[in-house]
Amino acid sequence: MDLSVIDWGDIWQATWETLVMTGVSLLFTVLLGLPLGILLFVTARRQLLEQRALYAALSFVVNVLRSVPFLILLIVMIPVTVILIGTSLGVEGAIPPLVVGTAPFFARLVENVLREVDRGVIEACQAMGIRTSRIIFGALLPEALPGLIAAVTVTAITLMSYAAMSGVIGGGGLGDLAIRFGYQRFQTEVMVITVVLLVVLVQFIQYAGDRLVLYFTRK
Amino acid sequence: MIRIENLHKTYRAADGREVQALADIDLEIAGGEVFGIIGRSGAGKSTLIRTLNLLERPSSGRVLIDGEDITRLDREALYALRRRIGMIFQHFNLLNAKTVAQNIDWPLKATGHGNAAERAARVAELLALVGLSEHGHKYPSQLSGGQKQRVGIARALANRPRLLLCDEATSALDPETTQSILRLLLDINRQLGLTIVLITHEMQVIRTICDRVAVIDGGRIVESGKVADVFLHPRHAVTRSMVAQSDALAAASLDPAHAYMSDKLRGTLVRLTYLGDVTYQPILSRIMAGARVQVTILQGEVSSIKDVPFGQLLLELEGSEEDIRAVFAELDRHRIHHEVVQ
Repeated sequence: MDLSVIDWGDIWQATWETLVMTGVSLLFTVLLGLPLGILLFVTARRQLLEQRALYAALSFVVNVLRSVPFLILLIVMIPVTVILIGTSLGVEGAIPPLVVGTAPFFARLVENVLREVDRGVIEACQAMGIRTSRIIFGALLPEALPGLIAAVTVTAITLMSYAAMSGVIGGGGLGDLAIRFGYQRFQTEVMVITVVLLVVLVQFIQYAGDRLVLYFTRK
Repeated sequence: MIRIENLHKTYRAADGREVQALADIDLEIAGGEVFGIIGRSGAGKSTLIRTLNLLERPSSGRVLIDGEDITRLDREALYALRRRIGMIFQHFNLLNAKTVAQNIDWPLKATGHGNAAERAARVAELLALVGLSEHGHKYPSQLSGGQKQRVGIARALANRPRLLLCDEATSALDPETTQSILRLLLDINRQLGLTIVLITHEMQVIRTICDRVAVIDGGRIVESGKVADVFLHPRHAVTRSMVAQSDALAAASLDPAHAYMSDKLRGTLVRLTYLGDVTYQPILSRIMAGARVQVTILQGEVSSIKDVPFGQLLLELEGSEEDIRAVFAELDRHRIHHEVVQ
């Protein structure tokens, strides 16, 4: 393997782009997915604000979005992205499909994490005459914090691999580099380096997430 | 203080069948008393106590607290009601992400009760009341079961309720810790004049702190009354078996059908039951001194129900029918309950 053919400037540029795509998409995924997940949880059967019709509708939309393969979603989203951002290319162009692809996934994770919170604790709060909104934000979410952080970690890693995939439709980052140089120009070295970098990034995210979960766990 | 009238609760099980959880419940609980509801698991006791703060909504019937039918309250009034009722649970249900002090503060903070300084003072007062002043900064996972329940009690008292509901509050604790929690509840009942309604499956809990008890079975109240009456003279089969199980050894030896005993019995088996001061007086010795009857004590217990001492003896009396009748007359004169056991 001849590392001299590699343009390290390109590599760092691509790594930075991957981090930006992942970070910005993660922010919007959480901003959209967390409320959606909370809504899924509280409107479900026998929960705080049971609304079966609303739950069924939300659940259906989430399932539909989750069942579309990400590669297809990337392509389907192109016109929407152009309307939203003005372009479907580059780092910015990759963010809308990334958010749409992972927010429903994250929402489902949030719903599951919230279900793990001891029902008795919520009931105790109800018995104290505390308003439902206060129970959700003052008790439910703090109790679920370690689980929510773990869900964010999993989502961040999924986003990173999706971000790499967006290289196929002209998104930026390590995936784009791997496709253009590693695949189309047969520069195996570039392919190897991008994969190694992705592995390192994923390991780091997982490690950091695990540490945070541990820090906030009181059980 | 509390009146339950003709309460019914049915719910639909997962398989679609209608299940009757509570039927024809009528109860009256006076202010300041410790009222126990005892029953086996699945008897409906948990559903019953949860109708008192509407964690469980009855299908029909009324629940009156201080004369007000709580089943008709709107949402705001229900919040207000629940703030006046404390509740503690079998599994404590503390917030794991909050410290002990934050747990106690939570109902105050979340219901907009006082400023931070006032709340901190109240939390300190409550920590002292339950004997956990040193543990305010700890998290629930660092506490023992008994300490967790003390936090639960402090939290339930934060809003100065007049009624405390205890949902199997000692069932997850060892016997020694159970006693200390029961003692704390009794202290609170006396110091604060708090009405306590508790459910349990343990006769020991009822005996230790309750004034009155209701026995629930199959969703219905089968027997209720003063603890001493129900405990010493159980009428319903379920009550009898629960009383017997609370002291299994005694139950076995009290059973006249017991093979070992029936071989050796010659005289008349009599069970004596007495309550109060008479427990500590030499009544038996006085009665027997003048009687021409031989007496053998086969089994006996001298203990107390809450603060009231009682004794229960199984005696074998040997003598003529006339002499035995004379003993019974003496027992009657001293107001000692007696019954011939077959």
